[in-house]
Amino acid sequence: MNASKLPPERRDSDPVSEAAERLAEIVRAAERAAASVIDDAERQAQSRIDEAQERADRIAAERLRAIADELDPPPAEEGWRPQLRTVESVPEHADEGEPSKRRAGEAGARLLATQMAVSGASRKEIENRLRNGAGIEDPTSLLDAILGPEE
Amino acid sequence: MNLTELQGLEERYLMRTYRRGEVEFVRGEGALLWDSDGNEYLDLLAGISVCSVGHCHPDVVEAVREQAGRLMHTSNLFYTERMVRLAERLSDSSLGGRVFFANSGTEANECAIKIARKHAHGRGVSAPTIVSFERDFHGRTYGSLSATPGLAANPALGPMLEGFRSVPFDDADALRDAVDGQTAAVLIEPIQGEAGIYPLGEDSLLAAREACDAAGALLILDEIQTGIGRTGSLWAYQQTPVRPDVLTSAKALGGGMAIGACITDPDAGSVLEPGDHGSTFAGGPVASAAALAVLDIVDDPAMLRAVRDRGRRLSEGLGGLDGVREVRGRGLMIGVGLEDGLDSAAITADLLERGAVVNAPEPRTIRLLPPLTIDDSQIDRAVALIGESLLSYRA
Repeated sequence: MNASKLPPERRDSDPVSEAAERLAEIVRAAERAAASVIDDAERQAQSRIDEAQERADRIAAERLRAIADELDPPPAEEGWRPQLRTVESVPEHADEGEPSKRRAGEAGARLLATQMAVSGASRKEIENRLRNGAGIEDPTSLLDAILGPEE
Repeated sequence: MNLTELQGLEERYLMRTYRRGEVEFVRGEGALLWDSDGNEYLDLLAGISVCSVGHCHPDVVEAVREQAGRLMHTSNLFYTERMVRLAERLSDSSLGGRVFFANSGTEANECAIKIARKHAHGRGVSAPTIVSFERDFHGRTYGSLSATPGLAANPALGPMLEGFRSVPFDDADALRDAVDGQTAAVLIEPIQGEAGIYPLGEDSLLAAREACDAAGALLILDEIQTGIGRTGSLWAYQQTPVRPDVLTSAKALGGGMAIGACITDPDAGSVLEPGDHGSTFAGGPVASAAALAVLDIVDDPAMLRAVRDRGRRLSEGLGGLDGVREVRGRGLMIGVGLEDGLDSAAITADLLERGAVVNAPEPRTIRLLPPLTIDDSQIDRAVALIGESLLSYRA
């Protein structure tokens, strides 16, 4: 090494201090390499987590579609036949209070929650909708029945 | 050929059914469009909710390219796998019954109307009626047109089909009163689109479902604009407490290719029989390939969650602007109600000059139907552009 190209403060340094400086530089390089390895590992882990989340979302959607069919099973497959039942007049609804303000009821709330879950809504989104839209104060049991208990 | 020359040819050769914006678009990518002079536009309309996965999405382009190079058409006298696969996908994602393919939304509604009438005759109804809401838009062919009160009132196009009636929008009691033993179906939009983005209230939806059940009629939801992820779920009804017997889809289904679908539950799916209905082009392999690619992109929980998040971001941004009276809608289907004194047609034209594409369905409403793939920075840019335009008209 050409001593004249060293910084002034290092020109008069002894071999021991030079060795210490080199050692410190080696340690710093090792730390930088380690940090880079950790960053790479974190990026890979996050990527795996994202992939797993996507897979879990898809599986959940398929499961919930199956649940929806159980709640509202399609009728047995038959060829179409004329449904010649007597036409009935629509029943009066005077005894239902204010019909235009009625809520969905339990079956409607369950259908709403199931349909939202099938379409990918989060538990929180469904819960908010049930509280604010369907007027259910505590939707926990309904959510547990459809989505499984909260962990 | 420049824009002036195009307009000259249009004037000579095209029927005067449209009032077009003064621009010729020549290229699109994602939420962006470019005109023939190279100017860039932020597309907040997506071809009226058609290009929901963005312009020229590579997966859709590849699906179309591949299928077009292999087989473009056979008619419905023979089998093609893509059509059957698409029917399976649509049925499994919604009502679990059968699918009839069409080439557009209005044709999908024609099929639904036919199903409703035959279903009603099957249960002994002699003069079946179909009930809709005022300001509903179901299409421009005569069956759908007859169910579109605003357009059906045009005497120059009469007579309309018999058996259609309408009640005031979102009036649950009026709807109940209108449904009787002669009712074949209630045909409604869960969110009125062409009228200016007006969500139907839950009580009206419940009233429609209950009245149809009591009368033996079918509940048909027109999801031509609301479907395929537009509202943050694959179908808008999935965010409501009702499930229809029949739903119709089109617009975004083909990602830019013309295709419509009438989708039923298992019961209504058995109503039509050979000879009752048909279409030469419908469900063709190229359009079906495009639709399958679209569903691969949209029917994904992460994508639908993103639509809800983006819709919130856009709605909140718009709601904070001077000149905005209200923001209506769900997901990325948004109507911006303007304060008195602001003219939506003028603002729409101004926004086009500023590089944003929107639509004015009524004098005080701007309609936004951006691609579902629009990103946050584009949403913020949209809010800024609309804010600047509103400010210029309030000054």
